[in-house]
Amino acid sequence: MDQFLFQTTMNVIFSFLPVVLLLTFLFLLDSFNLVRVKTLVFSLLFGAVCAIAGYFLNTWFGKWLAIDYSILSRYVGPVIEELLKALVVLYLISRKKIGFIIDGAIYGFAIGTGFSLFENIYFLFNTPADYNLLKWIIRGFGTAIMHGGCTSFFALLFVGGISRSENKLMAALPALLLAILLHSGFNHFMLNPVLQTLLIVVFLPIVFVLVFKYSSSKLQNWLEIEFNSEIEILNMIHRGEFSETKAGMYLKSLKLQFNPEIILDMYCYIDLYLELSIKAKRNLMLKENEFPIIIEPDIQSKLAELAQIRKQIGKLGELALEPLIRMDYRNLWKLNQLT
Amino acid sequence: MNVKITTLPDYTLISVEGRVDTTTSAGLEKTLMESIDGGCTKIILDCSGINYISSSGLRVFLVIQKKMISIKGHFNLCNLQPGIREIFDISGFSSIFSIFPDKEAAMIG
Repeated sequence: MDQFLFQTTMNVIFSFLPVVLLLTFLFLLDSFNLVRVKTLVFSLLFGAVCAIAGYFLNTWFGKWLAIDYSILSRYVGPVIEELLKALVVLYLISRKKIGFIIDGAIYGFAIGTGFSLFENIYFLFNTPADYNLLKWIIRGFGTAIMHGGCTSFFALLFVGGISRSENKLMAALPALLLAILLHSGFNHFMLNPVLQTLLIVVFLPIVFVLVFKYSSSKLQNWLEIEFNSEIEILNMIHRGEFSETKAGMYLKSLKLQFNPEIILDMYCYIDLYLELSIKAKRNLMLKENEFPIIIEPDIQSKLAELAQIRKQIGKLGELALEPLIRMDYRNLWKLNQLT
Repeated sequence: MNVKITTLPDYTLISVEGRVDTTTSAGLEKTLMESIDGGCTKIILDCSGINYISSSGLRVFLVIQKKMISIKGHFNLCNLQPGIREIFDISGFSSIFSIFPDKEAAMIG
């Protein structure tokens, strides 16, 4: 009994702890505090839901295609599992919960962590007397981290793609393909499983550190360049000097294409957008330095007003305003920082 | 950017002149941190000479404010030029920092 208890404890430790520790490590790397604990917990939970769905789908496909386990785990499983985990990332992106590569990678890793934790719980319950500690070490350090890593890579490539204003489908497909290939490659065990696990443990954190460093400097540049120019333009608007600027002249030139009410709406839109954008970036800076964010009492009504004006301007008006304000994915995400 | 430090018994007066931007903010942060590490718990930052501040500069102010809160010290800003004051007001940073119209008020505050 003692031996069983000891062995089970060791199995639990080795299969759960590494991936949780790596997730904590990634969370701590988030110097801008972009990750929200609530969304992180959501990601973990839905990662587990994906594992449940994956289990049933894999079983069903295995029977339907009448293929053996090795084929299923190498070719079918990776497609199903990566697709399911990617759906959670896509959901988070559709809800504007991910803004940068950093938070995308962490949420992606959390989804993979949730997936592997459920998978390992399932294996623990189904093989209670499995005393092969090495197997659990490989599951914990290798398979679990692989699950987190694959979804993380999908998220960071996808976020990187849509940040460069790529078409969502064109951004998602190569990212998903890479995740599937990595997963499938791992399941092929072309290398010795111990060596494969060792490579993952050594290289994955290094890759994450490098990617996070790059993304942090991009975020810093984005803050620096936009924040200052936005304040400058807003100052000009408040001083009534906007029409003298190039942007103001451009807005004036639109009078030929749009009726005066729309031009007025465009002017209000720029004014309101700049104010909200500056405040959103202020909140990012506050979060970075662990200050509580400021939520102005009128922020919800201003966001509603912005949405209303955006509707009034219409798609054509928005297109005309693109040289001044581009409502791309990151700009929409940024406004989420206000609430 | 030029920084002048005057150490007085009750506080340290730091006068900054020029631009506080990406290239100069690290130097300002180092100077301010050195003062704090040297035992200074009350810093008055005379901003009368600052003619431009970028988000990097604002972040240095946040870092110092955070440090001062942790050591129960004071970080008071004074003599902000109207353009700089407007940046604080527009961005909403005015509520985060203790801003005074002049040195005398900052000493009392």
